[in-house]
Amino acid sequence: MSEYELLETKGRFTYHLKLYLTVLVIVIICELIGIIKIPVGPGNVILLPMLFAVVIGLLITPGVLGKVISGLRKIISSDEVELAGPLVMLSLLPLGVKYGTLVGPAVEKIAKAGPAFILQELGNLGTIALALPIALLLGLKREAVGASVSICREPTLGVIGERYGLNSPEGTGTLGTYMTGTVLGTIFFGLLGGLAPITGLHPYALAMSCGIGSASMMTAGSASLAASVPAMKDTILAYAATSNLLTGITGMYSVIFLALPSTNWLYKKLQPILQKEKQVTAETE
Amino acid sequence: MAELASESKGRLVVNQFKAILISCILILIGQQIGFGISIIKAIPGMLIVLVICMVAIIIKDFTPKLKFPAFAWASMIALLLTMPFVPTSKFMLEYTKSVNFLGTTTPILAFAGIAIGSQVDRLKQLSWKLVVVAFAVFLGTFFGSAIVAEIVLKIQGLI
Repeated sequence: MSEYELLETKGRFTYHLKLYLTVLVIVIICELIGIIKIPVGPGNVILLPMLFAVVIGLLITPGVLGKVISGLRKIISSDEVELAGPLVMLSLLPLGVKYGTLVGPAVEKIAKAGPAFILQELGNLGTIALALPIALLLGLKREAVGASVSICREPTLGVIGERYGLNSPEGTGTLGTYMTGTVLGTIFFGLLGGLAPITGLHPYALAMSCGIGSASMMTAGSASLAASVPAMKDTILAYAATSNLLTGITGMYSVIFLALPSTNWLYKKLQPILQKEKQVTAETE
Repeated sequence: MAELASESKGRLVVNQFKAILISCILILIGQQIGFGISIIKAIPGMLIVLVICMVAIIIKDFTPKLKFPAFAWASMIALLLTMPFVPTSKFMLEYTKSVNFLGTTTPILAFAGIAIGSQVDRLKQLSWKLVVVAFAVFLGTFFGSAIVAEIVLKIQGLI
């Protein structure tokens, strides 16, 4: 169903009502729990209400707890799950406005840090350096290229889909990273954001790196980072939002012109070395 | 998606408005509980947020070829209105202050959690190897950017 059909309230009123009331209950529970902060060295494990919200939301779907508890399926069925899709995009808008009001007053500060903003976009290629060798060591073939080319949000799906097709091994790899990000990304970055100051990297640098091209993952990462280093909260959120906007603009071109060629190049170099070794050890075993 | 007729487009905007309005109400209730912000006092700020959201969604609905997400439009409009040398800045910041940043995030992630429920079965079918690689990708992109930013900000003397 299209967004137009899903959002139609005529004849679909009960789906809307059930979904909104469920989300209201989730919001109330999560806000009552509040922010949980567990210090770990200079960083923190930060558990924000949004993190509880995504976990509870996921748990009550028909594929998870709904499988076991039949009553739950009466409230949240596949109809409500489908309707929740466009609701994510729409409920993101107030957050978008909030980000704008954080970046606006900081424009001069951001302009000064311009070179860092632009160059750190190249740091996104770090995915290849770290993930490609790991993928090869795990024995993946061309899936490795699709999986490690970038964080694989929608623009990358488009590029890989067009170049190789999403049914190809490369496409399988890209879809793997995409789906892992969709389901587990906010939880992962929510934990990483709070803990990252342990590395000794400056919170401003970490803030820029939260802008990975997904609004929800960036929000989870930067909000946890801000809760971990509250004195720098406003600048952290403004930097993260700006960096995310930049990644949104540059992301697709970076995949086409930089990430994909360098992943393929590195694959050619590393594949014979890393996977030959693996075959030898497999034989000697 | 096929191009909607203008009448359907109007209907879509109305339904989008209802959904955003409900999101705003959820935020008001949530931030009253989580941050003790009075619902009544936050209403004027929330109305400003709602208007910007609607402008953003209308721009997006009527410029489908641009492929610029409504989220980015909403940020851009709010950004322009709150820059220090713009006359609306003081007024905007004064009112939107009562809309809590974290408060806006909880309903989104509740919807997102429910929406990704449809993907769980597909994730289960996925090889564990691809999940491990995905985590390496997350760490790689995060620390890759952080290290470059750290170096450049140090050279610039900003940290």
